[in-house]
Amino acid sequence: MGETASLLATVFLETISFWWVIIPTIFLGLIVGGIPGFSAANTIIILMPLTLAMDLQTGLIFMVSLYCAARMGAGIPAILVNIPGTAGAAATPLDGYPMTKQGRGQQALAISFVASSLGGLLTTMIALAAMPILARVGFYMHSVEMIVVMLFGISLIASIAAQDMLKGLIAGFSGLMLGAIGTDVVYATPRGTMGFLELYDGVPLIPALVGLFAVSEAFIIIEKRVILTKQGQKAMENPSWAATFEGVKDALSRWTHIGWTSVIGLVIGVIPGAGASIASFVAYQQSRTFSKTPEKYGTGHIEGLVAPESANNGVTSGTLVPLLVLGIPGGATAAIMLVVMQYHGVSFGPSLFQQEPEVGYGMFMAMAVSYLLMILTIIPLSRYMSRVTTVPTIYLAPMIISFTLVGAFVPREYMFDMYLALAFGVIGYIARRTGYHVAAILIGVILGPLLETYFLRALKKSEGDMMVLFSSTLGNILWVALVVSLVLPAVLDWRRKKRELLSS
Amino acid sequence: MTKMKMNRRMLLGTGIAASAMTLATPGLLRASSFPDRNMKVYIPTREGGGADRNFRAFSSVWKTKLGVDFEPGFYPGASGRVGYEIYMGKAEPDAYNLIFGNMGPEVLNWAVQAPSFDVEDYFYFGRVDTDPGCAFVGAESSLQSIEDIIAEGKKRTLTVGTSRMAHPASIGILALGEATGASFNLIPLSGGKNTVAGAVTGEVDFSVLTSGSVIAAGDSVKTVLVFGENKVGEALDNAQNINDAFDLDLPEMLSSRAFGIHKAAADNHPDRFEKLVETFNATFEDPALMESYVAANGTPEYLNNGGVEECAQFVKDMLELGNRYKPLLTGA
Repeated sequence: MGETASLLATVFLETISFWWVIIPTIFLGLIVGGIPGFSAANTIIILMPLTLAMDLQTGLIFMVSLYCAARMGAGIPAILVNIPGTAGAAATPLDGYPMTKQGRGQQALAISFVASSLGGLLTTMIALAAMPILARVGFYMHSVEMIVVMLFGISLIASIAAQDMLKGLIAGFSGLMLGAIGTDVVYATPRGTMGFLELYDGVPLIPALVGLFAVSEAFIIIEKRVILTKQGQKAMENPSWAATFEGVKDALSRWTHIGWTSVIGLVIGVIPGAGASIASFVAYQQSRTFSKTPEKYGTGHIEGLVAPESANNGVTSGTLVPLLVLGIPGGATAAIMLVVMQYHGVSFGPSLFQQEPEVGYGMFMAMAVSYLLMILTIIPLSRYMSRVTTVPTIYLAPMIISFTLVGAFVPREYMFDMYLALAFGVIGYIARRTGYHVAAILIGVILGPLLETYFLRALKKSEGDMMVLFSSTLGNILWVALVVSLVLPAVLDWRRKKRELLSS
Repeated sequence: MTKMKMNRRMLLGTGIAASAMTLATPGLLRASSFPDRNMKVYIPTREGGGADRNFRAFSSVWKTKLGVDFEPGFYPGASGRVGYEIYMGKAEPDAYNLIFGNMGPEVLNWAVQAPSFDVEDYFYFGRVDTDPGCAFVGAESSLQSIEDIIAEGKKRTLTVGTSRMAHPASIGILALGEATGASFNLIPLSGGKNTVAGAVTGEVDFSVLTSGSVIAAGDSVKTVLVFGENKVGEALDNAQNINDAFDLDLPEMLSSRAFGIHKAAADNHPDRFEKLVETFNATFEDPALMESYVAANGTPEYLNNGGVEECAQFVKDMLELGNRYKPLLTGA
């Protein structure tokens, strides 16, 4: 114990001495995270010759810092202009963008930065302390259990549908149908691809994401010629440090909320194959379920912004656990890290902490130090970043469209993806104009294919027996929790209305 | 000396010839100085996997022979089908565009489901490695040997993780089931990393995969059977060859990564193709390749140079194997 503590202290101090690597990388990460289509994974790939040329420790610190900062950066355009930089930030604009429209973009950014940094920092500490236990999560969360986790996220459609049941369900169902396009996961038979080769691997997430959110938003901006309310415009034109501090205070006063939603991210992050998009939707759904004011979600509610941001940063530390303890990368970025680290002769798996403990602990320390430095360096920038929304819409709308179309192109380099983003933009615009919720469509597109994968896998394992869905104890506990989380808000709502009726 | 008169026809003819020469010159120069730009390589799997690792190790040396860099593009999906369809449908057949695929599972695809292009329109010309498939369990599994697996498989159907249904290792385990009476249910887990994770976390009873990826997974897993010769001994836990262990006469269930090219590119640009083959072979003679391969956590015993003929034979064998096991691999 004493030896481990002394090793941790040494690694921490050594990591701090790499501030000259971490700080520039944080800014690089914010930029690549904020540009739709770019991500930590493809940036590490692009910079791989550089990463391989670095010594082990510098390369490790560089990759981890980039990973954390990119995750945080993805939330910035989601909040300011309704463009989630990655699928992991898809739930961020639900409440972040309405805050911006109200002229509280600066506060929203500060809240997002604090929630991301604290969520990331807290889960890094938990991961470090409870690594052997957390690594066991993947041993219990198999396809059946993951089906229920997916349903937690998908049940958000029902919450959205509560405002207009028929339209909400139609939107969600359309999303699930769109998500079913592509080859099936068992026999690789193409379905609904309409002959487009580019759809064989399913509907690509980034074009769907930027199309539904950003392109349709640009069409609305062109039509209405404004983003902000008059009051909001005034507030954004005169940014002040007070607004930043207000955001910081708002976030800090919800530290328990940051804590438990980031732990949701951590737990989902340690499951191989699960990711930030699942975590952020599940955290948002849970946050709404247990809120005393669920009706405020979607209108610029602070907790609705805190939940997805702290959860998707919780995933970041979670994905490192199976990588380091089991040698199984928890996500795409962790997989790239594995390749780079293997080049340096590091073998991951159970023996890592016996043979090279400084590497294992070093990755978590790099994460912790990155989050600490992010708090200090990024929060002051919210004052300047928020001014983006004051750019005249005549320039902003075309910028959003061109910027996002490039983003749609980047991940796979298909022109098809740009056309697809435009098509989703038109779908999103029509949906908005006719009162259908684009978020419900998007949840279906993102979580639908994952649900199908786990569902088909479970059925293949049971040779078609549907009772497999209720075959595990943990799965059954999760089923009960799902039913409770769906019924509870309705019961609470009914009780509240009854109380109001009685008191009046 | 007779004075040459230039009439209108001659003037036009000379003009056309001069223009044609001018236009053709860059092309001629380019042909003579091939390659004058980076090579683009289509990889039909995700970044970060075995193909990525293998490609980077090989191309890091090959680029020094060819004088230009190799730019990978990853086109995963539909068990590798997307990458091939994109390569055949969209990449220019000019010898600057190559595909780096796994001749084992990816060719099995064609036997199971024909692609939209003619499979004769591309061919492999440079084999990098041959890697036998293997069966392995998670370190904490209650099944710790192939005997345990067979005994348990006679009592109940065991779930077997595989990276995709049409995989040589999938055929290996189905053949073992046929020979021993054990019952196996293949569960496709989409890629090597997920297949390892499936066995380690107990999502499936055990998994089958190319042995190079299993070696890279380290001590989280234990190999119990190899569908071919175990050239690496302890690295695969001294697991036995399936034919020796069960007195069978199965062909080796190999994965084999190789560079492929459009047939049209080789036919229309024989000089370019020749240069590719020549530099590919020179790469194998360079000791730096072994260093790079070992540094990338590859298994040096699996490095295995092969040319057009060896690759063609491999493809033929795979198609035959695929046709034989098609009903089991397609669920038909």
